[in-house]
Amino acid sequence: MGSDNIGSHERGTPRRLAVILSADIKDYSHLMGIDEEGTLARMKRYRREVIDPTIAEHEGRVIKNTGDGLLAVFDSPLEAVRCAIVIQQSLVGRNAALPKQQWLQYRIGVNLGDVIIDPDDIYGDGVNIAARVQALAPPGTVYISGGVYEQVKNKLVCGYQSLGDKRVKNITDPVRIYRVLPDPDAVASAKRRNRIRAGIAAAVFLMAGAGGWYAMRPNVPTQAEEPPAVRAASQPRSDQHAAAQITPPETSRSPARSAPSQAEPVPQPSAPMPPRVTAEPQPVPQTPQPVTAAPQPSPQAPPAIAAAPQPSQTPSQLAATPQSIPQTPTPAAETPGPLPQVAVISPPRLPPVSGPYEAFVDCERCPAMISLPAGTFAMGSNDDPTEKPIHQVNVPPLAIGRIPVTIGEWKHCVAAKACAYEPSGSNDLPVHNVSWNDAQQYVRWLSDVTGKKYRLPTEAEWEYAARAGSSTRYWWGNQVLPGMANCKDCGDGSDPRAPMKVASFSPNPFGLYDMTGAVAQWVSDCWHKDYQGAPKDGSSWEAPNCRERVLRGGSWMNDASTSRPANRNRYDPGVRYPAHGLRVVRSRSD
Amino acid sequence: MTISRRAFLYTAMVVPVTAAAQTPAPPDAYLYIIWPNDGQRIKGAFWVRFGLRNMGVTRAGDNTPNVGHHHLLVDVNTPLDPNEPIPSDKNHLHFGGGQTEARLELAPGEHTLQLVLGDAEHKPFKPPVVSKKVRITVTK
Repeated sequence: MGSDNIGSHERGTPRRLAVILSADIKDYSHLMGIDEEGTLARMKRYRREVIDPTIAEHEGRVIKNTGDGLLAVFDSPLEAVRCAIVIQQSLVGRNAALPKQQWLQYRIGVNLGDVIIDPDDIYGDGVNIAARVQALAPPGTVYISGGVYEQVKNKLVCGYQSLGDKRVKNITDPVRIYRVLPDPDAVASAKRRNRIRAGIAAAVFLMAGAGGWYAMRPNVPTQAEEPPAVRAASQPRSDQHAAAQITPPETSRSPARSAPSQAEPVPQPSAPMPPRVTAEPQPVPQTPQPVTAAPQPSPQAPPAIAAAPQPSQTPSQLAATPQSIPQTPTPAAETPGPLPQVAVISPPRLPPVSGPYEAFVDCERCPAMISLPAGTFAMGSNDDPTEKPIHQVNVPPLAIGRIPVTIGEWKHCVAAKACAYEPSGSNDLPVHNVSWNDAQQYVRWLSDVTGKKYRLPTEAEWEYAARAGSSTRYWWGNQVLPGMANCKDCGDGSDPRAPMKVASFSPNPFGLYDMTGAVAQWVSDCWHKDYQGAPKDGSSWEAPNCRERVLRGGSWMNDASTSRPANRNRYDPGVRYPAHGLRVVRSRSD
Repeated sequence: MTISRRAFLYTAMVVPVTAAAQTPAPPDAYLYIIWPNDGQRIKGAFWVRFGLRNMGVTRAGDNTPNVGHHHLLVDVNTPLDPNEPIPSDKNHLHFGGGQTEARLELAPGEHTLQLVLGDAEHKPFKPPVVSKKVRITVTK
């Protein structure tokens, strides 16, 4: 292909479009100064054992070696970025075994450009840009240029942080740069992808050992499928698995990640994607800490995530509870699936906590919560008149349900005769067909049970949690992607007539599932037609004689545009509708 | 007149093979928009008044025979699934409290309004009780 593409230059030096990966070692000369032989030996070993084979595996070719770095070309941007991630991920594992002063940390930049490839060298702007992009990258990270981003964004599910346009030396036009986020969330979504192609799973098992950075391909399922088994063992604490999952490879990041929730509960994420972005991959040798730290708050946790075996609550008994409001019978849409025979109320099996924040439960029948720090965000959008004007809101710290309240969780309230609505269907479905008034009954009951002030989220709190630091149309970007939300035309072949079980899709960067799609979630606020005069402190916006309350997040019955975090809907508070559910919050100070 | 319109709407709907039991409606049920009229030009926000004959209006969830509640479809051109709840979004407004009027504020331009009566579970009746679609023009 390249040779067809001859331009003004002479034959034999074909121009071609190529993906260039540039990598070099941070502080190489400094390291050489300290320990010349050791550094050189390690670098050669890393090259031989990690970098070169990884490049070859991703169908790349090392085209040039520099003192401390290399240039490689790839045909596929996707392969190049994957390769870069695998290299970083593997090196974290290698470095972890060494004292910090001996670490070799690579900076990697990837660019897509038109280049001239000689047998033993490579020329062109595309190369220079790759080198500049690489020079901007902090050690241990991967930066990609806008051109690469456009090619991979919809294919490689991981986080991309836009760093804007940067001027680089000797290049006329600024270069748009993205940082590839070592995104643990990608584990969950990758898991889904892998379900499909589980066949190719085994191959990179080896990497799984090293790989937590975020595993991209076949190694994922091995990790992702472990937790249930582990959970069944002794310590069914989900974030422990998360720690276990993330830490070993990801030595550097775990401390940083768990820090916000543990040491400093309020890291003010006014800048989107706070923890993940700010978490510099400075591997600190105190790796073990997060591992042990994470499980600590868990002594009371297991039951919550495991099960609340209430054998007394057989379906029939539940059904027999009196106090049924003569309201909407369950719609035929959710044809009551056969109720489980025994332990009626087993909470849904949740994947490990994936976000940067701590998870907890207040009681064994209570929903699993995630603690979010205070933050400032831009609420609203210009996509619809009801979402205008965009305004800054400060949200105080809060805890929010990881998933919408499930049928199983709701049944505890029914059994306590505190909730009038009796749902039918599998326990791991989100409870739906509930009115705002029904939702109030549930949060009141939950508050009574726990002594904590549970309530519906405010509209601002909800959007803060749903955006999870993003300011894009969807939390994952500007395009609808399959595998992200259970909505009507979102390309997952999901049933438009019934909800899917909770946590069937990727969590957002805060580790929250089903924020959009699935069930529309009641929030506390009264409906206002737009944000003129809306509170800026994250409080609930009330109105006298409120006739309609707000629903957020769209639902499985709605199209993708309603899965935008900014989307709003409204409904009569006393009326049940099959796609309406809820998620609970409580403030952190309670 | 009414019949033929209804027949037309019915055929326009998707008729799935596994038809769940739809709630029957009396054959002479007649749903209509009292105001605005077809072709009306309106300035600013306005009230839509819902009219229903030979059936009763109730709140959502009420299973009493021959009653239902209103849904106002704004600028909707896709047919409804007769076996599914009427969607709830910005174009499908629900009046599950038994309301018989609604205040609308639409962007300037041409719009269509159409009522659909829903049963206790927000599903269309059989035969569907649907109003004629009115076209209006909203001016600034």
